[in-house]
Amino acid sequence: MASNFLSSKDIVIIAYGEVKNELRSGKTATELTADVMVQLLAKTGLTNREIDGFALTLPLSETGFAWYSNVLVDNLGIQARWLQITDIGGCSILGNIARAAAALKCGMIEFAFCIHADAPSRPHVAEYFNYRSEFQEPTGFQGPLIAFGLLTDAYDQKYGLKPEALGRLAVAQRNGAVANENALDKLRKPITVDDYLNSRMVSEPMRLLDCVMRCDGANGVVVTTLERARAMGVKKMVRLASYSEITNFDPANSTPDAFETGFQVVGPDALNKAGLSPRDVDMFHPYDDFLIALLLKLEQIGFCKRGEGSDFVLSTDFSPTGDLPINTGGGQISAGQAGLAGGGTNVVEAVRQLMGEAGSRQVPNVKNALVTGIGVVTYFRNWGSSVAMVMEA
Amino acid sequence: MAQQNMAQEQMRPVPVPTRTSTPFWDAAKRGKFLLQYDPAAKKYQFFPRPVSIYSGSDKLEWREASGRGVLVARTNVQVPHRGFEKLVPFVLAAVNLEEGVRVVARLIGVPYDQAKHGMKVRICWEELSDGARMFAFEPDR
Repeated sequence: MASNFLSSKDIVIIAYGEVKNELRSGKTATELTADVMVQLLAKTGLTNREIDGFALTLPLSETGFAWYSNVLVDNLGIQARWLQITDIGGCSILGNIARAAAALKCGMIEFAFCIHADAPSRPHVAEYFNYRSEFQEPTGFQGPLIAFGLLTDAYDQKYGLKPEALGRLAVAQRNGAVANENALDKLRKPITVDDYLNSRMVSEPMRLLDCVMRCDGANGVVVTTLERARAMGVKKMVRLASYSEITNFDPANSTPDAFETGFQVVGPDALNKAGLSPRDVDMFHPYDDFLIALLLKLEQIGFCKRGEGSDFVLSTDFSPTGDLPINTGGGQISAGQAGLAGGGTNVVEAVRQLMGEAGSRQVPNVKNALVTGIGVVTYFRNWGSSVAMVMEA
Repeated sequence: MAQQNMAQEQMRPVPVPTRTSTPFWDAAKRGKFLLQYDPAAKKYQFFPRPVSIYSGSDKLEWREASGRGVLVARTNVQVPHRGFEKLVPFVLAAVNLEEGVRVVARLIGVPYDQAKHGMKVRICWEELSDGARMFAFEPDR
């Protein structure tokens, strides 16, 4: 396994920005990106002329053409010496931060603005190709809702799934959204485990309240070196402690166990590199497109044994003052999924907590966070990309 | 409005073959389900790819599959996607074929509560527009 390129802990996040998730913002992804940039400039005291590194994700709503990043920086008045699009789905935000860290360590740039925006209320211009358009969608196997319905069913068959455990995760995250003013207003109402159990089936055995709701939104962070942050007099910063990424885990296996995933590699790897064991994790900010993904990650990262996820969830307090605070701002499932920028909701919440700015949902004395990403629906293996990052206050 | 509904119903997506997949779809028209076979690795793969996932070799053969397999996961699809509005709810099944590959497709003729893990199924074909055919599964009795 490669060494930890973040071991000297000299790459830091000095600011975060986020717009409120809305079902219909009336804005384009480019306009939402600008909103976040303005927030980040105000927080750092920088001007757009000082931004030399810029990273983004592909908005489903604007990337029917292949020159999006150029047009975006032109709109924002940025002269980029390093321009990065990362397209590993829900792993792209952490992927951008890690790639920015590498570019900073190489001395290519001084500041990386990693800004992610999407506006699914606008026409969906992204198209799928290859096996997805040829062998998957024409059969009726259309997208994540079905892939995760199959995963939920396969898990239940292999280990026995206790639906009330998923309900408990749904309630914990919903409580976070109620306290998060940037969450979708429609979702800022408390729910009970019974509400979860009684929600209608969408891809049985998966329920409506297992799933994310798509919305418009944007978020971002500024990444720089510790040396530069100190020279700027930055008071609050978050240090990157470790990162691990894997795409297309176990590729030469045509009948893989869907519960052997990249997380069994990147979870322990990121923790080891940061010198942590699962019980040392102060809070967990897992990418959440469907609740079953949270259960699988708890097992595969090593918070509990395989197949014991339901019981672990039922005996763990996930509130901000509990055993293992989880997606304290609601995660995507309760705050809304801002299209392909959605993973940033969880990343920004981790940074906000580590800077001590989470208000009524603040985790007391928090020193570290484990943040993850899941990317891309595959041809029923599990998913395409898995990433994990440890951040420290 | 009626015309518009009809137009929407006809939008079930139809596969567009590539150089790699053309033999598969040509055989599908004759009711044959082909798999790529890597003679070096002695293994099959699905979906069709330009090289072997086992060896990286482009020396791949096409072989007809038995079409028989075992159901390993299933879901009852209740949210209609484009082109499938009239078909919901329907069962989508992940099946491990005898040749050691996994195929996901509709399971036809079996309601969700009778679609059991481990049940034996075989390939069948659905007629799409323009003479195209799409693979599905039915019980192998």
